Amino acid sequence: MSEYEGIVKMLRFFVQMKNFGYVDRIGNALNPEPVEVTLHEALRAFRSVRESAPVDESGRRYVEKDGKKIPVPGIPTEEEIRTFLDDVRSDIGVAKRVATLALAYPSKKESGGDE
Amino acid sequence: MFLSVGVRFEANVEALNMVETAGNYSKHRRVPYLVEEDGKLKTVYVPALSGESLAHAYQEHLVREALGLGLSVCDDCRRNEFYKSMNKVHLKKKVNPIPDDPRDIEIAIVRSCVVEDVGGFLYAEKPPVRRSSAFQVSYALPVKSVALFATSEPQLHARHAQMDTSSKKGNASEQMIYYVETGTALYGFTFNLDLDAIGVSAITSEPILDENELKIRREAAMRALFRMLSSAQFGAKLSRFFPVGGITEVAVAVTEHPFVVTSPIYDDYIARTERRLKVLEGLGENYLFTVATGEKVPEEALKEAVDYLREQGAF
Ligand SMILES: [Zn+2]
Repeated sequence: MSEYEGIVKMLRFFVQMKNFGYVDRIGNALNPEPVEVTLHEALRAFRSVRESAPVDESGRRYVEKDGKKIPVPGIPTEEEIRTFLDDVRSDIGVAKRVATLALAYPSKKESGGDE
Repeated sequence: MFLSVGVRFEANVEALNMVETAGNYSKHRRVPYLVEEDGKLKTVYVPALSGESLAHAYQEHLVREALGLGLSVCDDCRRNEFYKSMNKVHLKKKVNPIPDDPRDIEIAIVRSCVVEDVGGFLYAEKPPVRRSSAFQVSYALPVKSVALFATSEPQLHARHAQMDTSSKKGNASEQMIYYVETGTALYGFTFNLDLDAIGVSAITSEPILDENELKIRREAAMRALFRMLSSAQFGAKLSRFFPVGGITEVAVAVTEHPFVVTSPIYDDYIARTERRLKVLEGLGENYLFTVATGEKVPEEALKEAVDYLREQGAF
């Protein structure tokens, strides 16, 4: 699943923001259309949030939520999105696995913010 | 008596139900919809209004109508804050000390507030007391046959801040651009009202109020619906996105027992409702069915229902 790291990180960001809408819709999708629409919406929202997010001393973007600083990861690449959507078209289970990973705690400390 | 209304309304460029704001983008509620195209089923995402949003509007109208008729409405509901006696803090404003028996709690709430009588409540303490809403409302969804023409589109707006050059510092911007996603569709929704549930205990099925008070409360409930539809005061962002369009059709059924009109998202909903009612008539149930399409205006159809209810002694 590491090939979808960018998407997982983006969805995980929304989870940390207590916005479960996107991850739930992707995880519960029964066919590819809802995944595609949700990903489009998530990317649209993510870009809006990211562009207005302040940058800290180390140059990372973050958003404050309930007094906690949540790092804003990078935007998933076009290539990754394309592969993901193609894979979802042939196996909807891919979407569920990506959503499940986004809900889990990351296994290693994530750098977050800008690369 | 049971009232069921199917409503179709055209709304162009509306922002009646926004769901979230991300950065400078505020999104319209959208739902997946199953439509048939060239003999194949497909999922499309269409703009929608939640039943919660319509219910909130209805209850706001109910507050006004109830107060206009001299009925009791609690302080929270008067402010259109529908906490519905959810905990001790809110219930104590109505009855203090709080009784132990759930039946007494229900009686106290129903007596002191028409909105919680008609719209139900959930007192989530020990003992919990729950009362179902006497009215029901669906989501408003695009009419099936034209759902593929429904759109949701972001509109660009700018908010300006006046600044003279001396006070302008750094990268402070003079205008902020933002996007409001608007919906355009022919919507349909269903509204039901169980007039027999008003003022009657959900626990014992016994009337809590005297007949005269029951009648005035039923009338208030009807008036609120009338006002909501007639004024188009429902949904959000009306101040700058008042929908362009209006109610195109209503179908009103009044029956002795619960009966729900066929959903107005289907093109043949009026004919189907009529056929279904004919069957009920064969089983000995009286009813009124009236529609406003073309010639008749919605208010005329609703007035007929009000008159019929009065004839039947509902109020
Ligand atoms: Zn109240």
